[in-house]
Amino acid sequence: MFQRVLIANRGEIALRVIRACRDLGVGVVAVYSTADRGAPWLALADEAVCIGSGPASESYLKVPRSIAAAEKTNVDALHPGYGFLSENADFAEMCRECNIEFIGPPHDAMRKLGNKNEAKKIARQAKVPLVPGSEGLISTEDEALKVARQIGYPVLIKAAAGGGGRGMRVARNDHSLVAGFQSARQEAEAAFKDGSVFLEKYLEQPRHIEVQLLGDQHGNVIHLFERDCSLQRRHQKLVEESPAPNLPSRTRDDMCKAAVRLARAAGYYSAGTCEFLVDRQNNFYFIEVNSRIQVEHPVTELVTGIDLVREQIKIAAGEKLKFRQGDVVQRGSAIECRINAEDPANNFQPSAGTITRWQAPGGPGVRLDTHAVAGYRVPPNYDSLVAKLLVHQPTRSEAIAVMRRALGEFFIEGIKTTVPIHQKIFSTSAFVDGQVDTTFIERVFFGQSTAEPGK
Amino acid sequence: MADNKQPPPGPFDVRTVRELVELMDKFDLSEVDLNDGGQRIRLRRGGRLVAATPALLTTPALATAVPSTNSQPAPPPSAPARKLLEIKSELVGTFYAKPAPDKEDYVKVGSRVSPDTVVCKVEAMKIFNDITAKCAGTIAEVCVQNGQFVEFDQVLFRVEPS
Repeated sequence: MFQRVLIANRGEIALRVIRACRDLGVGVVAVYSTADRGAPWLALADEAVCIGSGPASESYLKVPRSIAAAEKTNVDALHPGYGFLSENADFAEMCRECNIEFIGPPHDAMRKLGNKNEAKKIARQAKVPLVPGSEGLISTEDEALKVARQIGYPVLIKAAAGGGGRGMRVARNDHSLVAGFQSARQEAEAAFKDGSVFLEKYLEQPRHIEVQLLGDQHGNVIHLFERDCSLQRRHQKLVEESPAPNLPSRTRDDMCKAAVRLARAAGYYSAGTCEFLVDRQNNFYFIEVNSRIQVEHPVTELVTGIDLVREQIKIAAGEKLKFRQGDVVQRGSAIECRINAEDPANNFQPSAGTITRWQAPGGPGVRLDTHAVAGYRVPPNYDSLVAKLLVHQPTRSEAIAVMRRALGEFFIEGIKTTVPIHQKIFSTSAFVDGQVDTTFIERVFFGQSTAEPGK
Repeated sequence: MADNKQPPPGPFDVRTVRELVELMDKFDLSEVDLNDGGQRIRLRRGGRLVAATPALLTTPALATAVPSTNSQPAPPPSAPARKLLEIKSELVGTFYAKPAPDKEDYVKVGSRVSPDTVVCKVEAMKIFNDITAKCAGTIAEVCVQNGQFVEFDQVLFRVEPS
């Protein structure tokens, strides 16, 4: 096992890793920017090193600073947390070259999975389903019609150079395909000076479900079941839960097995997540692999009883997994609410500032992962997550009841938070019934239609 | 780049150098080499760490300035006590007070410094980075010891402003 680990991150996840290190009897070095000077979690580390100024690009994202801090404080491993440098394969490789073990996947696997085309190639090899679409670019109407009939309507016409919904069209039949094809090409030509388009199956109100993976350096790869992360606003997750509600067990089983095949094909170890979109017929399609620990990992820790961060550290130290696939059980229902310093009444504007009151919920079934305390100043420089409120109960309906209770006990003053929107979500019958998809928040709370691109 | 109220800075003006260093940092350049007639300015960064070549940058007026022997000059009687300036570490690494083990320290208490005077080196990832004073005055205090680990923003020297 390692003697001392440096945590190249901040906030909630830095504290989470400090705790895992303490549990393992491993020493901890924290790093911080001048914006985080005096932050509460730093006092819990054995040593804290200032690595730069407030902007992340000048501190937490600055590779030489973290490596210099790691070398000078004599650590033998580095935990990158999530965000910042966590999925930077070059950084991982550089750490290892400096004899500092990067607590994460092999850098080669990170590099392959970080490249969309390469990741799709591996998925195809591992027989993991991808969103059906044209193999390459489409240049004629006839070709578009042929591909659309083959993959089945509705289809999405996407500009090759596109992004942010521009140059995207949904077509539900031959007629709208022809019209959409022309206008998407023109729009793409005007916006990007490149009129190339391709076609993809359009998934209506898909769910976002991901599978947690754990692999060691001895070839063992297992899954720890799924998390449903469909409740999102502008691709920012708000609520995550396990098990995914109303998911046929056959689908769950197939997805989990597919994720394990993919990890094996990529030569992956450490913790990781395989993300899928699931359509209304419960067909699932691979999107990407997140080669890091994720924000929502405690949801899985609650249902499986396995400490993922502790396992990550043990795996990096070369230990074998102590359990097999058959030992991992999904017990009860766990839900997480992300409490962000944002104002839901004001278009989710970030709300930095000093927390004047912090009265946290507790009691049976509640876990709160947070770095915040009363008097803590939320700096404007970083992401707005201030707490992860989790509940774990034998059934989903009990979990919802406990979450309602916990949200009602949570008093935060001085900053605006997402607590009120969570209270709304947990009293919305569609959510309580498990009728969730990625368009839920916009549809139910902001009265928007399913926000089809190009409409 | 040039302020309207000031004459345009020459290539070896401290302001120019500072701006170049900032640009290098902003665009992540590792080396800048400029020639202007017989004069040359060359700036290099190791990794992302800034290292100016000081010998070429020192203007004669500053280089020949007589070092003050009075390490604690009395503040002007009319003004309140002047605050000491701080020279802080721009990096994380090991502090070296001298260019080589058998050489004298770059500066001591009482040494006069100008903004481009090298006051020490900080080694990070086997790269020795020159730290310049970035202010003018007299060294009043050396806050760290040779070979000590320093972090970003740590005070290395205190300077009595001139």
